[in-house]
Amino acid sequence: MSKQTENNDASRFDLSKWAKLPNQLIAGGILAAIAGILIPSWHKTFAYSYLTAYMFFLSLVLGSMFLVMVHHLFDAYWLVPLRRFLEHVSCAIPVLVLLFIPIALFAGSIYPWMSPEGHDHSLAIKSIMYNPYSFYIMAVLLFASWYWLSNGLRNASLEQDKTGAASCTITMRRYAAGGIFVFAISLTFAVFYWMKSLEHQWFSTMYGVYYFAGSVWTTLATTYVLAFVLKGTGHISPIIQQSTFKDIGTLFFAFTVFYAYIHFSQYFLIWNAAIPEETFWYVKRENGVWWSVGMLILFGHFFVPFLSLLRIDAKKCLPIMIPMAVWAWLMHYADMSFNIKPVYNPTGEGITFASLVLSIGCMAGMAGVFAKWFIKELNAHPAFPQKDPRIAETLGVYVEPLSASSSKASND
Amino acid sequence: MSGVGRQYGVLAEYDTPADAIAAAEKVRDAGYTQWDVHTPFPVHGMDEAMGLKNSRVGWFTFCGGMTGFFGGNLMIWFMNSFDYGIVVGGKPLYSPLFAFPVSYEMTILFSAFGSLLGMLFLNRLPRLHHPLLKNKRFGSVTHDKFYVVIECADPKYSEEETHSLLEESGSTHLEVVKE
Repeated sequence: MSKQTENNDASRFDLSKWAKLPNQLIAGGILAAIAGILIPSWHKTFAYSYLTAYMFFLSLVLGSMFLVMVHHLFDAYWLVPLRRFLEHVSCAIPVLVLLFIPIALFAGSIYPWMSPEGHDHSLAIKSIMYNPYSFYIMAVLLFASWYWLSNGLRNASLEQDKTGAASCTITMRRYAAGGIFVFAISLTFAVFYWMKSLEHQWFSTMYGVYYFAGSVWTTLATTYVLAFVLKGTGHISPIIQQSTFKDIGTLFFAFTVFYAYIHFSQYFLIWNAAIPEETFWYVKRENGVWWSVGMLILFGHFFVPFLSLLRIDAKKCLPIMIPMAVWAWLMHYADMSFNIKPVYNPTGEGITFASLVLSIGCMAGMAGVFAKWFIKELNAHPAFPQKDPRIAETLGVYVEPLSASSSKASND
Repeated sequence: MSGVGRQYGVLAEYDTPADAIAAAEKVRDAGYTQWDVHTPFPVHGMDEAMGLKNSRVGWFTFCGGMTGFFGGNLMIWFMNSFDYGIVVGGKPLYSPLFAFPVSYEMTILFSAFGSLLGMLFLNRLPRLHHPLLKNKRFGSVTHDKFYVVIECADPKYSEEETHSLLEESGSTHLEVVKE
């Protein structure tokens, strides 16, 4: 009965007054971009702020793709209400390609190894991977494989909405089983090419996992907020359960620990070995403001969420989880900045007006573009899988297997 | 032999998890406190149906974990830095960095101790005998039957009312359990 009243309009969100927000965000982003291009001293700041924002949103797309795949790999039922909107986010590859164009055009000034002036002896062996040809070929391959994977998964899912055929589930399972390997390799290449190679002298083989852990963490925070909003708007309210929120929260908690484990391991191995080829990366990140950002990541990315989500009931408590999700976005942005921005600001000068305007501008602009894509996709398709075989289980309804009911009938 | 023959409680048998949950909700709403549900496997939603709050075992786990973490750090600081300082690889005598992996393992070990001992303590285990164990019918709890047991020690217990409550809840078999 309480569910009925909840579905009625009283508690429903009215998002119509926010309808202009994506366009406003894009306009803000474009203004920041114009400023970044016109003012010569802002060029570098703009380039790396743009890359930081790009890597942030890439996290969400890849994280969603991962969640869709684990859903099929583990045959999980609790993700069913969330799967459709995660599929939409993971299908935002055209947006990624569009936003990648500036990076592709100016790669020569962003990545030192892309231009002959940036060459040094450490590039000798790595030049097989880090050269302009492989950069562009790889970018095409990465986007193509993500497009194939995310659309393959979503098309089968949309097909099932119409037919309800079990074969669609099997198709999705096959995509997930093969795709998880493609995903792991492509994510690692993407983050090596676009983020780690900013300092190509450095070595860290676990950098891909590091980015992956932070990405899925942020995606789960985003999933929590999207689930909350889409429940409020009525999109997924017929199917989402209280326990769904708890389950997202639990996985978010798990990835809090996983990220900390990975980042600690990376730091610890480099600290313990103390080889200059590796330590320089972290030494640079102890300068000026980067020391504080590092501490912020240590405490804010791990201790704060870990200790506040330790209790089982915290994970379904909205006054804790919604601020925590916003906090997670900030922390992931701090993490991306910690990785990217010391390249143009190695001494760790504090926040300048330019960096503030351009960072917020790039984030806002990209958020606007992704929001427009998401809303368009959300409205074009059913908001949750209509005929997924696990729906009854999601709703907590027991349906007797066909074999059991037919044997009972024959006994009677 | 004065204990023999004294009533322990009422045992009500159910055939399905759904019946057991519905019965548990009734017993909870009637305000009983000294009662329990026994099932062959964990039943989702039973905590809520019984009105059980979050288990307090977590606090034992947390305290155990904290003890392990800080104890581990303290141990490493004492051994490698205070009692007998050893320089390894030019590193500081004590650093939370190299102490972390061991402290982390100690955290896990002591949280496990905390959980296990806390669980035993809160359940008042070990205990050698329980009145339900000699009940023949109750043996099916490990097979395919679900039981609600209300103890006579419950302040709300009255033979008539408790029996009729359980009967109305759809129990297939009702029985008084002796001490």
